[in-house]
Amino acid sequence: MNWTNILNFSRGPLLHVAMIIFVAGLSYRLVRVLLLGWARDRAKNKGSKLWGVIVNYLKGLFVLPFIPWVRRTFRHNELTFIAGGLFHLSLFLVLVFGTAHILVWKSLWGFGWKGLPTPILAFFSAAGIISMIVLLINRLTHPVLKMLTRFPVWINWLVVFLPMITGFIMARHLWFRYEVIFSLHLISVSLLLIWVPFGRISHFLFYFFSKTIHGAQAGKRAVTP
Amino acid sequence: MKEKTIYEHLREKGLSRRDFMKLCGTIAGMMGLEFVPPVKALGKTLGPSPEEVVAQALKTKPKVPIIWLEFQDCAGCSEAISRSSSPLLSNLVLNDIAIEYHETLMAAAGFQAEKAKEECMKKYFGKYVLVVEGSPTLADDGIYCTVAGKSNLDLLKEAAAGAAAVIATGNCACFGGIPAAHPNPTRAVGVADLIKDKPVVNIPGCPAIPEVTTGTILHFLILGQLPETDQLKRPLPFYGHTVHDHCLRRPFYEAGKFAGSFDDEGARKGYCLYRLGCKGPTTYNACAGLKWERGLSYPVQSGHPCLGCSEPHFWDGGGFYQGQSAPIVRLDKSSTATLVGVGVAAGAALAGLNAVKKSRAKKDLKKDQSQAAGSDPGSKKEG
Repeated sequence: MNWTNILNFSRGPLLHVAMIIFVAGLSYRLVRVLLLGWARDRAKNKGSKLWGVIVNYLKGLFVLPFIPWVRRTFRHNELTFIAGGLFHLSLFLVLVFGTAHILVWKSLWGFGWKGLPTPILAFFSAAGIISMIVLLINRLTHPVLKMLTRFPVWINWLVVFLPMITGFIMARHLWFRYEVIFSLHLISVSLLLIWVPFGRISHFLFYFFSKTIHGAQAGKRAVTP
Repeated sequence: MKEKTIYEHLREKGLSRRDFMKLCGTIAGMMGLEFVPPVKALGKTLGPSPEEVVAQALKTKPKVPIIWLEFQDCAGCSEAISRSSSPLLSNLVLNDIAIEYHETLMAAAGFQAEKAKEECMKKYFGKYVLVVEGSPTLADDGIYCTVAGKSNLDLLKEAAAGAAAVIATGNCACFGGIPAAHPNPTRAVGVADLIKDKPVVNIPGCPAIPEVTTGTILHFLILGQLPETDQLKRPLPFYGHTVHDHCLRRPFYEAGKFAGSFDDEGARKGYCLYRLGCKGPTTYNACAGLKWERGLSYPVQSGHPCLGCSEPHFWDGGGFYQGQSAPIVRLDKSSTATLVGVGVAAGAALAGLNAVKKSRAKKDLKKDQSQAAGSDPGSKKEG
């Protein structure tokens, strides 16, 4: 077995199986959550649910992350907030605007778009990796977090961190032969795809559920979410 | 009679000593022989310079006969070597080293040619180099490729038995190449998969770069052994770096400047071709250094992405113009729909089961409560 064969395996059958599990698993999770059912809404609608949802998204995604100091949650926990925010931003930018990733989207959906310049991506991917390490140290040392952390949390951290670090090394051409680090990146990505539907990382999807419901509830009561 | 050395042979043909030394220098450069500068060699014994090594070998060694077999191939590698950019080298290999049997290039044909091969194999038993172009086939005992009534498997085994070394040239002979592409109806394999008892070196490419083939043959002639190889048995002097490592468009890759199509502004400005499906980062070959047609150009320089022709599975490793990062096997619409269906069905089934369980539990609870109420009508316990 040589690395060229391993790369071919990880780009081919392994990634294929991972995508199958990802799509089927996520559909399963989605249905399970939707079929939990919800109570009939008997209270009178005082405001606009739609408006509440819109405001909730705008504030949550585009306003508050950039003026975090207005929130009490930030003042209580600056480190987690900054590192967590930077990590999510980096992941988003690299996944959506990294040229290699754009080619993946293009192969899946048939269209691509322009990427960001490599130095900017390099900065953000490094920032994302450092944030992950900071968050890990924080979790290892914080007395309360330590008590809250169970085994799957470490898996969550690992399956997200591995693709990030291997991707960074690959994009910068450091230390390894390209096909070796490319294979390791794809293997770790496959692990992530397989794990996502069954772990907490599925919040990338369910986040939008809670954000919508929370916004709608606030809108109904005519209060700012 | 003592066999003539290559030098004597060349002198007879009118090559001057000066030209001979030039040739030796060219060969040494081609082979990538290391020159140890005097400063670096301080403390070490200073060996002879590379061209002296080459000259010494050519002066003392007789020519090495080559038997060149073709199996499932397009003769492109032979075409390439016959139009090699270094006429001196290809002449040397074609005429002087020399190729005793080559189905495409030799003047003889039919039984004459086969007889010449048999005589050569007998005469030079244990000394000749066997070059294989094209992939051997395993299906049905190799009957899908026969020459002179013999299956390619028999031909290969017969010729390899007396060979000092085996050189597989072109992707087909090295890894099965295009004949081995899915579904591989003839069960094409690489030569190294079949020949285990002889030193085998792979010179993959589509075609193999002629200077690399000649360089490897010369390496064997001059140093008496095949060059050091990588995991895939490719000679390191030529396959030690990727096309990407030495690419002249590499600075654009580092800067993130890519051509988006073959005729956009980026393509006209010579930007990196990664987005157009370039396989350069994982392709080990000497294209970017040796180039083609007397160093004129190579695919990436001419505006076409690298196809990865010196790697195994290059025909099945995803589309040529599809990004290298894209998965090889894609989920199409119908399979995605099926998967979503499976997930939804499983989720719904489980939810249904849970609902049934829940309603049963409720019923049981009610039953218990009513029983409890019936047995003790006076009590008002909470349920």
